[in-house]
Amino acid sequence: MTDIAADSFSITSSDARARNARALDSSRLRARYGAEKRFRVYGAAAIVFGLVFLAWLFGSLVIQGTGAFRQTQIRVAVELDAGELGLSGTPDREALEKAEYQAALRASLRKTLGVGSDRGERRDAYALLSNGADLEIRSRVLADPSLVGKTINLWLTAGADVDTMLKGNISRDVPENKRRVNNRQIAWLDKLAADGRVGRHFNANLFTKGASSDAELAGMGVAIVGSLYMMVVVLLVALPIGVAAAVYLEEFAPRNRWTDVIEVNINNLAAVPSIVFGLLGLAIFLNVFGMPRSAPVVGGLVLALMTLPVVIIATRAAIKAVPPSIREAALGVGASRMQVITHHVLPLAMPGILTGTIIGMARALGETAPLLLVGMVAFVVSQPATPFDPATALPVQIYMWAGASERAFVERTSAAILILLAFLITMNATAVILRRKFERRW
Amino acid sequence: MIATAMSNGAKADAKPAAEHDIKITGRDVRVFYGDKEALHGVDVDLRDREVTSLIGPSGCGKSTYLRCLNRMNDTIAGCRVTGSLMLDGKDIYDKSIDVVQLRARVGMVFQKPNPFPKSIYENVAYGPRIHGIASSKADFDAIVENSLRKAGLWNEAKDRLDQPGTGLSGGQQQRLCIARAIAVSPEVILMDEPCSALDPIATATIEELIDELRENFAIVIVTHSMQQAARVSQKTAFFHLGNLVEFGETRQIFTNPVDTRTQAYITGRIG
Ligand SMILES: Nc1ncnc2c1ncn2[C@@H]1O[C@H](COP(=O)(O)OP(=O)(O)OP(=O)(O)O)[C@@H](O)[C@H]1O
Ligand SMILES: [Mg+2]
Repeated sequence: MTDIAADSFSITSSDARARNARALDSSRLRARYGAEKRFRVYGAAAIVFGLVFLAWLFGSLVIQGTGAFRQTQIRVAVELDAGELGLSGTPDREALEKAEYQAALRASLRKTLGVGSDRGERRDAYALLSNGADLEIRSRVLADPSLVGKTINLWLTAGADVDTMLKGNISRDVPENKRRVNNRQIAWLDKLAADGRVGRHFNANLFTKGASSDAELAGMGVAIVGSLYMMVVVLLVALPIGVAAAVYLEEFAPRNRWTDVIEVNINNLAAVPSIVFGLLGLAIFLNVFGMPRSAPVVGGLVLALMTLPVVIIATRAAIKAVPPSIREAALGVGASRMQVITHHVLPLAMPGILTGTIIGMARALGETAPLLLVGMVAFVVSQPATPFDPATALPVQIYMWAGASERAFVERTSAAILILLAFLITMNATAVILRRKFERRW
Repeated sequence: MIATAMSNGAKADAKPAAEHDIKITGRDVRVFYGDKEALHGVDVDLRDREVTSLIGPSGCGKSTYLRCLNRMNDTIAGCRVTGSLMLDGKDIYDKSIDVVQLRARVGMVFQKPNPFPKSIYENVAYGPRIHGIASSKADFDAIVENSLRKAGLWNEAKDRLDQPGTGLSGGQQQRLCIARAIAVSPEVILMDEPCSALDPIATATIEELIDELRENFAIVIVTHSMQQAARVSQKTAFFHLGNLVEFGETRQIFTNPVDTRTQAYITGRIG
């Protein structure tokens, strides 16, 4: 208002008066406010739209996935009878490792459920528990050999179908011949539940075990370790090379056609589809250098190539953001160019460099396509001891589980996605915190 | 001492004085930024234990000249310097001269206070550290205290040596920068408009400081304030459009300038 008043005060021509009068015209004013309001509504609607989809995604993941973090277990009184275990005298460790735990477990289970000698009945009874249940007893006994001869109450992992049914994902109303858990088994489960022998506990297998065709024994342990190895390789390869390249380009390279070409290509490289890097890795690391298939070190190298341009670009931006006055100050007291870089420019650019690197690594962590080409889609049961042993990766594990039709695997797929997202969010949050913490120190 | 300004190329004919007294001799110094000649042959002699001020309108080449004296122009791509600049009789631009050592002998204070984002102590100790001037903690402590005292900052800073230099006030930061420059015991200190970012009180403090520092160093100061030049300097050089127009005793330049352009500038008609 004061603006307009001042205007009309200084401009005296009738033209200007007319213009001011028009500007003040209430219908134009209303139209302007209306346009502003509409624009704000569109913006808010777009955000709500995005949030709804995000909530939907997270909601369905959480609803489907949380079940996988808890696993049904059945408490069985296991008689560790030396005879049944095939042990005699004072067994040594080797004998304990090879003992007949399955026989002992099955005998105890039959006793608990009151199963006779019918073959079909026995098979149904054994199917209540996981194939790996005897190994759980074994590890107990190995940890404490004095248990032999005693009867212990143990929570043992239930079979995947039992687990699925007890989580309500197999209905009892389905006709028996189409149901994966038959009436006899349901009757046993009801009785066990009434005795307080059925419970749900934290599913440690999910975080420690490797691939298995039995859903209750399948875990992402191998994938987590594989991804971890790959991230270490990415960090060790992409960070030093990327920083060195960026420092050279920013501080030493002459400005000419060649450096322009390099600059354009680095930017292009950052936009190259990741599968192309996978093909490159296949051609170079596997075919030329003969590196092992499915090894995290190869996957890590491929991801490092992919992350390199991101690190270079982030580092160059961070170096550019260091104020010239700091360089001048250092040069002014007689620091050499190298000293200016190592004492001042890099320390000040470090938060930016790390932020860029973490974001690049987060992208690499979620990358699947290039890993498929270097053989990371593998059925790996045991934990890789070194980065040269076969392993899988988190997103690849998701990809593999997503292909399985069993309900228990669907649940695990969602759980795996949640875990991957948790890693990604942690990394990105670290990047944000770093940036906030070190923002503008001069 | 009378300076005669010539119509082109501005030859300032400094009268020969006692040889040891002259710190830097410049003859026909020309600076090119790419193809553009920014300084057209400047002759100035800078004396030890004397303050020389460089004045002139914006863009006339004062900073350019100053930056020749410690070869800060080397860092600018496409910048070329010709002519001769002798520090104690040795050519500053000679191949055998190491820039790093040169900058230890010719220190610089910039227009905007630019302390490192490190502690006050580290700011002052940085130069001695990279030049290997001191080795023991006690030596460093002594240099830091001594430099801060000379820069008139000791009393204000002694209790917060481990706090960041960037946390000081503008005037304190500039004195910290002066302390940082004198910590490596230079022979010449260059100051490019050291007070232009400061308030009058901080400015007065720095001016007093410059007067004290004169006892030990040759000082060259670029300033836009005629009063400042008159207050702190013994010699004044007036630049105009890349030429050295007039060079001589400050008192003479301000009371009895020879060149009409100088007269026009100090009376406020060009600038
Ligand atoms: N890095 C550079 N590249 C190209 N030309 C430059 C550069 N620095 C300065 N110049 C030019 O050189 C001339 C002298 O500049 P200089 O900075 O020395 O002026 P100055 O006297 O210090 O001015 P001011 O009082 O505004 O600081 C100007 O014409 C300027 O445009
Ligand atoms: Mg300047």
